[in-house]
Amino acid sequence: MIIQVEDAVKRFGNNLALDSFSLQVQKGEVLGLLGPNGAGKTTCIRAIIGLTPIDEGSITVFGIAQNGKNGKIKSRIGFVTQELTIYEEMTAKENMAFFGSLYGLTKAELDRRIPEVARVIGLENRLNEKTKKFSGGMQRRLNIGCSLLHDPELIIMDEPTVGIDPQSRNFILEFVKNLASNGTTILYTSHYIEEVEAVASRICIMDQGHAIAGGTLSELITRIQGDSHILIDVRFGSEEKLQELKAIPEITEATLDTNQYHLVVPGGITVFDKIIRVLSDLTIVNVNSKQPNLEDVFLTLTGKQLRDED
Amino acid sequence: MYRFNLIRGSRDLVGHMILIAFPVILIAFFDYIYRQAPAYTGLEGTSYSYLTVLAIGFALTFQIYGAGLSFENIAVDFFSPIRYRIQATPCDPRRLIIAILISGMIVGFLQSLVVLLFATLFLGAMIPLFPFILPILAISIIFHHLLGSVIMVLSGSVKTANVILSIYGGVAPMFAGLYFPLPDTPLFHFLRKYLTPMALGNTASLGILGKDISLTLSGLIPLIVLTGGVLLLLRQSIKKVTT
Repeated sequence: MIIQVEDAVKRFGNNLALDSFSLQVQKGEVLGLLGPNGAGKTTCIRAIIGLTPIDEGSITVFGIAQNGKNGKIKSRIGFVTQELTIYEEMTAKENMAFFGSLYGLTKAELDRRIPEVARVIGLENRLNEKTKKFSGGMQRRLNIGCSLLHDPELIIMDEPTVGIDPQSRNFILEFVKNLASNGTTILYTSHYIEEVEAVASRICIMDQGHAIAGGTLSELITRIQGDSHILIDVRFGSEEKLQELKAIPEITEATLDTNQYHLVVPGGITVFDKIIRVLSDLTIVNVNSKQPNLEDVFLTLTGKQLRDED
Repeated sequence: MYRFNLIRGSRDLVGHMILIAFPVILIAFFDYIYRQAPAYTGLEGTSYSYLTVLAIGFALTFQIYGAGLSFENIAVDFFSPIRYRIQATPCDPRRLIIAILISGMIVGFLQSLVVLLFATLFLGAMIPLFPFILPILAISIIFHHLLGSVIMVLSGSVKTANVILSIYGGVAPMFAGLYFPLPDTPLFHFLRKYLTPMALGNTASLGILGKDISLTLSGLIPLIVLTGGVLLLLRQSIKKVTT
C-alpha cells in the first residue's frame, strides 16, 4: 500500500474540508480523485503530502505515518501543483535545476536528469529560454517536469490541466498514461470526468469532504445500474423483428419508429451480438448507443453535474 | 540554491538601474548644490570634500530600497502558491530563506560598490580608506535586508514592507543631512549621527574617514546590536512561513 488515509477529518473554522475521508492507493495504480471544486480534493492531497495537518484520523504514506515533518516521505513524492509554480524570469533549465536541488540532487545528477525529463515533457529544445516566453501548455509541462527530476515513486497531480488548450491536455494525458505504464503510482485529481476516465485505473468520487464511491470505472457504472439506450436504423423496419427483439431477456424495452429501433438495456450490458443477429436481414444502416458513463455515475451519486461547478 | 537566487536577483535590470543610477545622479546633483554653500558634515578640518560624504550617504540610503530584493523573493517563495511546491520537498525552508537573504545581500553589496566606484571614478569622490568602509556598508546592508524581511513576514504583505521602507528611505537621508543642511545645533548633530540605522552606518563611515575611532564605534556598535536584534526577530517570525 502506497497511501492509506483512514477517517481523516480536517476543519477550516466551521467548514469541514475532510469528513471521515478514507482512501487507499496501491503500488503501480493510477487513482483518479474526482470531485467538483470545493469537494476537498486539494485538502486531501495536501494532507497526504504533509502540507496540511489533519485534525483526526490517520495518514500513512509508504507505510510511514505522515506527520508533515518526515523528509523521507517528501523525497519519494513528486507534487504537481494546480497553480503554475515556476519562476517566469528564469529559464526552464534553471527552474528544473532549482527544484531538483530542493530534493537534494547533486550537480552531476541534475546534469543527467534535466535533459531526460526535458525530453519526456517535450521541452528539450527550449531549456535555455525564459519560461515567460512559453505558451500556457509548455508552462504546464514544465510545471510537471519540475516534479519528476528526483524520479519519485509516487506522483500527486492536482488538476494538472487547468486552463490549457486541448492539444496540451492530450499531451499531458498521454504522458500520465506513459508514466503509469512504467509502474509509477499516480494520484490524479481533476474535476474533468473525461480526464479521469482516460487515465485512472481506479476512481474515487469525492464530494463535500466524503469519499462517496470508489472502484474501477466498470464497477462504478455497474453500481448505478444505469440503462444503455441503443438506436438502430434499418432500411425497412419490421414489427415481426420488434417482437423478436422484445423476446431477448436482457432488453427491457423495445420500440419501432418508422425505420428506427429504440432498445433499452440495463446497466451497460452488451447484447449487440444478439441484436445484430435479429436485425441483420433488414440491412442495418446506422447504430448509436449511449451507455452510462462516469458523468452518469457522478450525477446519480451526488445529484450534481460537475460542469455546473466550474 | 545560492546560484539560483543570485541569478534571480541579478535578472532585475530595472531594479539595478534604479539602485545604481539614481544615487549616482543624486550624488552629482547635491555635490553641485553644496559646492556653492558648504554644510556641516562632521569632517570639517579634514581634507575630505562633501562629495565623499554624499557618496557614502547615498550608497547607504539606496540599500534601504535594495532590501526589496530579499523580501520580495521571500514573498514569492513563501506567500504565493510556489510555497506548496517548496514545502512539498524535503528541503528545510529556512535554508532557502537564508539563501535568498545572502544572495540579496551580495547583489545589494555589489550595487553599492558600483555606486561608490562611479562616484570615485567619474565624480571624483575621494575615499582613501575604502576597504575599511566596506565592512560598515556590508553590515548596513545586512541590517536593512533583515529589517525589510521582518516587516514583510510580520505584515504578510510586500506592499506594506515597501511603503514602510520607502518612508524610512525618504526620511533617513533627510535627517542625515544629505538633502539639505540641518540646523547647526547639538540636537541636530545628535539626530544626524544616531537617529536611524542608516545614520549609524553613515556615522561609522565618517568616523573611518576622519580616523576617529570613537565616532566609528558610536555608530558601528549600535548598528551591530540592532542587526543582531532584527536577526533574532526574523528567526522567530519566519516560523510563521516555514511550519
